[in-house]
Amino acid sequence: MTSCDDASGHCITCSDEGIAMRVLGSGSDGLASCVDVAGRWTRVAIDLVGPVSAGDLVLAHAGVALVRLDEEALVA
Amino acid sequence: MRYVDEYRDAELGRALAAEILSTVEPGRHYKVMEVCGGHTHTIYKYGVDDLLPESVELVHGPGCPVCVIPMGRVDDAIAVAMHDGVIFTCFGDMMRVPGGEGTLLDAKASGADIRMVYSPLDALRIARENPERQVVFFAVGFETTAPSTALTLMRAKAEGMRNFTVFCNHVTIVPPLKALLESPDLRLDGFVGPGHVATVVGARPFEFIPSQYGRPIVVSGFEPLDVLQGVHMILRQLAEGRCEVENQYKRVVPYDGNPQALRVLEEVFALRPHFEWRGLGFIAHSGLALNEAYADFDTEVRFDVPGVRVADPKACQCGEVLKGVIKPWECKVFGTACTPERPIGTCMVSSEGACAAYYNFGRFAREKVTVA
Repeated sequence: MTSCDDASGHCITCSDEGIAMRVLGSGSDGLASCVDVAGRWTRVAIDLVGPVSAGDLVLAHAGVALVRLDEEALVA
Repeated sequence: MRYVDEYRDAELGRALAAEILSTVEPGRHYKVMEVCGGHTHTIYKYGVDDLLPESVELVHGPGCPVCVIPMGRVDDAIAVAMHDGVIFTCFGDMMRVPGGEGTLLDAKASGADIRMVYSPLDALRIARENPERQVVFFAVGFETTAPSTALTLMRAKAEGMRNFTVFCNHVTIVPPLKALLESPDLRLDGFVGPGHVATVVGARPFEFIPSQYGRPIVVSGFEPLDVLQGVHMILRQLAEGRCEVENQYKRVVPYDGNPQALRVLEEVFALRPHFEWRGLGFIAHSGLALNEAYADFDTEVRFDVPGVRVADPKACQCGEVLKGVIKPWECKVFGTACTPERPIGTCMVSSEGACAAYYNFGRFAREKVTVA
């Protein structure tokens, strides 16, 4: 494992690094503050998912939100 | 943790394993390839294979982008990083990938300014903060990662950045799958498809696997229950005589992917005629390069990139591991000359590499020891 791996041992270049994140708020620079299930806080680009609001869920990879997540589907 | 624990439930895992057992045909041997290195990681981290009957064999595919980088491209990266005034940025796993002349970590120890980043956007920020330096980002990854590089380049262009370039090594997943399916030494019954690549490209691009090659594929997530359910869906297709693309990962993957992500890929990249894959050789239309509109941001245009070609070390059998022909522990140097601390092959470098996954989770002693 390298120091760039995330806490669960994943490699950032690998697609499994996709992380479900909760939006805390979005700025005017195309970035949104997000927190993952482990409480880690980071900013991700939202260009690919459109405007987001606090409370939305996205899947982020390499600093970019790739898809919006449907909360009901996640726990179905 | 919410959204995670639901997919690691042991009771559900046991129930799925029982369903798998009741689905397999007695006397038949099944070979299922998990395409993505992330699936390999999950399988050995959680022991998913221990829940499967002996007749169901999981074969590790070529979907670890770090593992398929040829040594010559690493040497090219080092040559760029050694240029005066360059700040070279890359994801952490690439630091220890051996080229013919050492690693990026070796180059850093020799004085090159090489920095780890978590996102290409971080590399762009470094470029903004260092206008007198040239900042290069070593772009590696499949369609999951390529949109973040594309977005970064679009921002760099919009800002008129003159000191930021990308050394592009992005690859696409469909061409190597076709190459594998054409391979005469590999018989597969089905595929566990790459879930997060499919968030970008969708499940539709994999339709050629059932339609042209008569194999089922199930796009699957990365938690242990996802992988087990993906395997079960493949076996059920085989049992029912069906052969199609199914989406186990519907909670994340839209069947047609993310159109906006596909648009940014189209905006920035062009397919290369050929790209070299470690262990698989040159595969047509399998690599992405920056298109003409982004030539000013292309490291291969702006710098003198030597274009090194290096044969893989003779002792290394990464190619056969990546094609699923041998298991990691069957490689001659696995766990002896080649370890995560001192890797010879790329499959031992990345935590998603099949060899590192076996080694790190203590699963390298496959032979049963008989105590007299």
